[in-house]
This record gives sequence, structure tokens and C-alpha cells, in this order.
Amino acid sequence: MIKSLLLYFRLISIQIRSQLHYRFPFLLDLIATGFITLLGFLSLVFVFQRFGHIRGWTLAEVAFLYGLVDSAFGLMDMVFSGFDPQAFGRKVRFGQFDQMMLKPVNLTLQVFSSEFILRRLGRILEGTTIFIISIGLLDMTWTFGKLVYLPVVYFSTVAFFGGLFIIGATVTFWTIESIEVVNIFTYGGTEMMSYPMHIYQDFLRRFFTYIIPAIFINYYPALYFLDKPDPFNMPEYAYLLSPIVGFGILSIALAFWRVGIRHYQSTGT
Amino acid sequence: MENMTPIIHVSKLQKHFRLQRSRRRHWSSVRNLTPKEAAIIRAVDGIAFSVEPGELVGYLGPNGAGKSTTIKLLTGLLVPTGGELSVNGFLPWRDRRKYVARIGAVFGQRTTLWWDLPVIESFELLKHIYNIPQETYRRNFNDFRELLELDTFLDTPVRSLSLGQRMRADLCAALMHDPLLLFLDEPTIGLDVVAKERIRQFILYLNRNRGTTVILTTHDLSDVEKLCERVMIIDHGKLLYDGGLSSLREKFGGKRELVVDYAEVYQNPLIEGAEITEQLGARVTYQFERNVVTASELIIRLSSHYRIRDLEVREPDIESTVRRIYEERLLE
Repeated sequence: MIKSLLLYFRLISIQIRSQLHYRFPFLLDLIATGFITLLGFLSLVFVFQRFGHIRGWTLAEVAFLYGLVDSAFGLMDMVFSGFDPQAFGRKVRFGQFDQMMLKPVNLTLQVFSSEFILRRLGRILEGTTIFIISIGLLDMTWTFGKLVYLPVVYFSTVAFFGGLFIIGATVTFWTIESIEVVNIFTYGGTEMMSYPMHIYQDFLRRFFTYIIPAIFINYYPALYFLDKPDPFNMPEYAYLLSPIVGFGILSIALAFWRVGIRHYQSTGT
Repeated sequence: MENMTPIIHVSKLQKHFRLQRSRRRHWSSVRNLTPKEAAIIRAVDGIAFSVEPGELVGYLGPNGAGKSTTIKLLTGLLVPTGGELSVNGFLPWRDRRKYVARIGAVFGQRTTLWWDLPVIESFELLKHIYNIPQETYRRNFNDFRELLELDTFLDTPVRSLSLGQRMRADLCAALMHDPLLLFLDEPTIGLDVVAKERIRQFILYLNRNRGTTVILTTHDLSDVEKLCERVMIIDHGKLLYDGGLSSLREKFGGKRELVVDYAEVYQNPLIEGAEITEQLGARVTYQFERNVVTASELIIRLSSHYRIRDLEVREPDIESTVRRIYEERLLE
């Protein structure tokens, strides 16, 4: 276990070192990534300038949600880079996955350490900045419970998106090419979750409650952090479901991943 | 004494693939709503062989014959559909991690090295991946860097290497952990003559001096001629031939040639048992069947009629022999 972790950090540090080799292009990349995601947020700001609030939520409140999701997605996108469905599909096609199978190391660990895209830091920084600014603007009452629960929600969100990435990567064992449907869940999911769920139509909200329970990942926790009433009359503990859903999806994804590997061994490419 | 249990044991090995017909073309037709028709491809269709430790075996076959599938089965990348397969006491696909720790594999068109890293750093990483003791690592590295002449590009990133350099680096990488068994899939593909020769010399060294068992697939039959005493030929998923290279030639070699330079120009210097295929001035080329007449008999006959200055007997090359086997399906 310790050996595996050491190996992981060794492989990751090499990735990082080679990405930092060209410092200037890297910085440009970083700034560009941060800036592009920031543009998305700015368009939101303009909407608020016009309407003042969206369905009872102020800009600062939406920014709380938005920043948290963006930062968590950025972190996931960096740590789970190897599972990015598009990149992973290429690895399967070009036999790089076969090369991993020829090495006496756990495959999941190898995929994790096969890529670590450092410029995703841009999005993490952008999201975190928005989040911090939102807290500055909000007049929140902090309790001990909220302080403890905040990092839990953050990492549950990372786990949730990571699970979606792994599911998307696993699907490529069957489809060879990554399929667009997966992007609807990963990128579409982030987009949806950046805004309060009560602004969506019922069927969409129900989908993200009962089929993919994304609503518990950050919306219910946000209601708790911001002391807002629940418009849907869920049980009171709903806000506590974030880690269960987040890490639950990740576990399901990992189980599916193992099924995918077994399928790959029986069919190849 | 070395005990001679086979290192590879294969019997009735099968690998079938289900090939799904593309549904895109007639996407509007109702038929696509019915279950897909699936064609079964028998990529490996009941082959059996065993390999003793220390053998160097050439594995041949035309494209799509089942060569790569066999190698993938042997290296644990694929699970067989049926039959038995054990390598070095393992079921390759089931005990993947333990099994691959003791084998090496080089797939000609792919690299196991880290694309952006200098060659030497890839080796260092492999040391950790395979848990290679420092002692072993240093010994192997020193041996291989010399034999494969790696020194000039050890600090070059893998992406900047020429194909030949990359192949040498990959060979070194596959061998740092002292594998008992080495699988080479098209190791000389795309290389020039000099680079090919260097790789071949290295493979011979491994096999002779280190006793590494080598399984080699190749398109280049001169690889086989220079390296392998034993060849296996596969086509349509079935093993067509398994035996020595020389007996392959004897059995299926077809016609031999005798090239004679006469002391003077003869008009149609015919002789019993051979036919003329070419005549250029005083040089005449004959073709003859090995089981009808021997070369020495033929030479005696010729020299009793004509004045010979020089002559040469040509064996059919392995390439045309193997091509004949595929084309004429001699082994079925």
C-alpha cells in the first residue's frame, strides 16, 4: 500500500516536472484556463445586474454554489486526468492500456498516475476565488458543524465527478471511442450543479434527484450553509447525504470499472 | 540438471471474438431493431504446443492469422475462450500482476517508455515498478547499455528517438527485471538493415548467454532464418507447422536452383533431371526438385557433357517457402 502510494507520487511528480519544464507556456495555459472559466461566471454576473436575483437567490449565494462546484470539478479534473473519457479512449485504442496491463502494478493506480494535468489549477484557483469572494459578501453565520462539513462537501463533490469520469472511461471499453452522452453527465452535470436546483424544470430536477442524485451533492448542503428553507420538503437530513452520494457514486464507478476491465480482457480491441 | 518441464504449455487453445455488424449503414431499416447478427471470428482455433526453457521460437503467419491474438493470450491481455494455457506455472490472465513480473514483452509499434522522459528516467521508473534490486538493476543496465549502444541517447526524451533507438531502449526496458521469458512482436518492423542486425545480435545474446526463452513474431523471414531453430506457422487460427527451420525447407522448399558458368557458350545445354529457367551467354540457371535428383548427381551429369568454369547451388529462401505454404495450403 505504502509502496503503491510512493510509486503514485513518483509518477505524478514526473508528470508535473515535465509540464513545468516550459514555464512560460504553462503559465499562459494556466491563465487561459482560469480566464475561460471566469468568463462563464461573468456572464452570470451580468444576468444578476439585470434581475437582481434568481428565484430568491442573490448573486453571492449563487456564487457560493458556483465557486464550490468549479473548484471541486477543477480538482477532480486534475487528479482524475487519466480517466478523462476522451483521453482514456485514446489510450485503449493505441494500446497504451495494454502496456499498463503488462506491468505488475494495480491498473487503477496506473491510470491515475498516467496523467496529471496541472493547468487545471487555473480552474481550481478561479473557483476557489469566486467561493472566497462569495463568503466575504455573504453575511453567514458559521457554526462548528458548518466548518467541519464544508471540506466534506467539497471532497464529496470531487468524488462524485470522479465517479462520473471513471464511468465515462469504462464505457470506452465497449464503445472504443468516448461518447458524447458521457459529457452530458460530466460537463452538463457541473453546469447544472453550479446553479440552485430549484430554478430548473421539474423533470430535470427529478432526474437529478432520483436517477443521478446530484441535488444532494451541493444544493442541499448549500441550503444548510446559507440557512435557506428547503422548497421541496425533503427529510431534514437531506443535506447530510452529500458524502454518501459522492463516495457512493465513486464506489459504484470503481465496481463498474472492474467489470469493464474484465470485459476488455475477453474482447480486446 | 535443469529440469525440462515446459515453460509454456498450450493445448486446444481457442479465442473467439464476436464481431458485431455495423448497424450504421441501414439505420432506418426495421431489421436493426431485432437482435444484432453476430459473426464469430475464430482468431485462435484450437492450437497446441509447448516451449521448453531456453528455446527461441519464431511464430509466423500472414496478417490476421491469429499471431497477435496468441501473443495477447500468452501475455495475459486476453482470456481464452477455451482450452488450456499455462506459462511459467501461471494462468496469465488470472494472476496478471504476479505473472507479468516475470516476463518481458515488446510490441514493435508501441513503447512502454514515458514519452516525455529521457530514456534513463524511464529505466529508473521501471526499477520501482518492478521492484528491481539495485544490484540487478546496475548489472543489467551496464550490460545492456553496452550491447545495445544506448549511451548516445540516454538523456534524450523518448519522443525524439528514432525508431531503431526506441526499439533498443524498449528492449532494454523489457529486460531490466530479468524476465524468464521474452515476447517480441515484430521487433524489427520498420528498421533499416543495420538496426535490424543489431537487434538480432542482441536477441541471440539473450537467448544464448542468459538462457532467456524468446517467442518472436515477425514478418521479416530473415529474422527467423538468423535467429530461430524452431518455427511455428499459424493461419486461420490453426497451427500449420511446428518444427525445425531446416525440415520446413526440406519438406516444402520447392525447387532448388543450380547456376552454372560454362567455359564456352552452348546452345541449349539440356540435362536430364533439371530444366533451364534462364540463359545469359555462358551463364545458365537450372531448376531441379530435391527429391528427384541431388545436386552432386546433377553436377556430374553436366560436367560429363560440358566444360564448367564455376557453379553455385541456391536454396529457395524461407520467404518463398512460407509464402508457398500459405498460398497452396500445403499443410492442411
